Amino acid sequence: MSEINLTLKIWRQPNAEAEGKVETYSVENISTDSSFLEMLDVLNEKLTHEGIDPVAFDHDCREGICGMCGAMVNGVAHGPEKETTLCQLHMRHFNNGDTIVIEPFRSRAFPIYKDLMIDRSALDRIIQAGGYTNVNTGGTPDANSVRISSQQVELAMDAAACIGCGACVASCPNGAAMLFTSAKISQLALLPQGQVERKERAQAMVQCMDDEGFGHCTNTKECEAVCPKGISISNIARLNREFLKGIFTGRDD
Amino acid sequence: MWFVRFLTSSIGKKMVMAVTGLCLILFLCVHAAGNVTIFVGSEVFQGYAENLHSHPVIVFIFRLGLFALFLIHIGVGLLLWQEGRKEGKNRYVVNTWVTKNPYAMSTMPYTGLFILCFVLIHVFGFAVAPTHDQMISNVIDVALSNFFYVLLYLAGFAALFIHLSHGFWSMLQTVGVNHPRYNTVIAWATWVVPGGFLCFFSLIALYLLTTSTY
Repeated sequence: MSEINLTLKIWRQPNAEAEGKVETYSVENISTDSSFLEMLDVLNEKLTHEGIDPVAFDHDCREGICGMCGAMVNGVAHGPEKETTLCQLHMRHFNNGDTIVIEPFRSRAFPIYKDLMIDRSALDRIIQAGGYTNVNTGGTPDANSVRISSQQVELAMDAAACIGCGACVASCPNGAAMLFTSAKISQLALLPQGQVERKERAQAMVQCMDDEGFGHCTNTKECEAVCPKGISISNIARLNREFLKGIFTGRDD
Repeated sequence: MWFVRFLTSSIGKKMVMAVTGLCLILFLCVHAAGNVTIFVGSEVFQGYAENLHSHPVIVFIFRLGLFALFLIHIGVGLLLWQEGRKEGKNRYVVNTWVTKNPYAMSTMPYTGLFILCFVLIHVFGFAVAPTHDQMISNVIDVALSNFFYVLLYLAGFAALFIHLSHGFWSMLQTVGVNHPRYNTVIAWATWVVPGGFLCFFSLIALYLLTTSTY
């Protein structure tokens, strides 16, 4: 184990309305075995001792599966490591004396609560618009009555790996939520349980996505490159197909 | 109305771009096929041009269609550009691109507008300006004997190459063509199709520049 000293430039903003600015802090003797969030914990302890308001940041499970954490580290969502959430990013990937710029995920649809904390409830509203299946109550169906090929299961699971962290939106030059929405649509479109609402789902979720202020897809692949779960843009192509099918063959009018 | 919802949605607008873009690519293929006659000889090319224009109704309908395609592609493109700018170009203190080659993608509106300028010059020079008694084979020969005119043409073709190196792939992805079996071919075609246009059209311009008596 070794220790490093760092200079941190962190976006500080007391509340949603206030004007924010970048503040510079230094942290010493950070263990290279610690995670990025643990490094921020060390900073916050120091700031608290000095009587300065600690840096607010989102976090929960700290094992890369909840989707709460995330920030732009030197302009890259979740930092420089591929397919890694911020909490799973370790300080061994930084060098002694490095300057790290930390900013919140930004988007028109993600208002800032405070410092690095953002409001991602717009993503929840996209789910509410159509990311569900109706399950009729009644007798329990026979265990193997719904047959699904293992390939379908794997594809659906790859899409379902999306933790909704919002890195795709934060890294997209247009602030599009296409990778998120496409993953949520794909996981249901690929399984038999999702077929009933299929034609309405894509339309409703895309409508909500547009209404929430997310941008359009320019096919930059930037979202795929920063996604901590490696969600593929092939899901976006599937979303486009689902939307096309739904809007041209649906009967909801 | 479902169709209005389609056209006003973010995906719908991108699909309009994809479909009009595909039509324009197909037009370029036909344009290139006709231009092969330039290499055969000035009489053959003149004959081809006269044959084509001996059906004024067909020419008129095609021009109208092309004009509409260009108008829609450029109009919706500018609308999307303006919508994309809402997010702000420098929303971060540090802006980093993770993907390797974002230049073609991020310059789409600029290469597009450059191509528009080129097309306007091209259409004016070879379709609007020449009078009826002028032979088109002679008009192109005179124009493309000028070094700077050829240079402008090569710049136009280069812009088209850059535009299509993102646009071709983007078009397929937008209409949902993304399949592991074909993705390799698509990645290959994204360079070969624009490269083919670049080589072929540049060859014409350079051929006319270097041959003194066409």
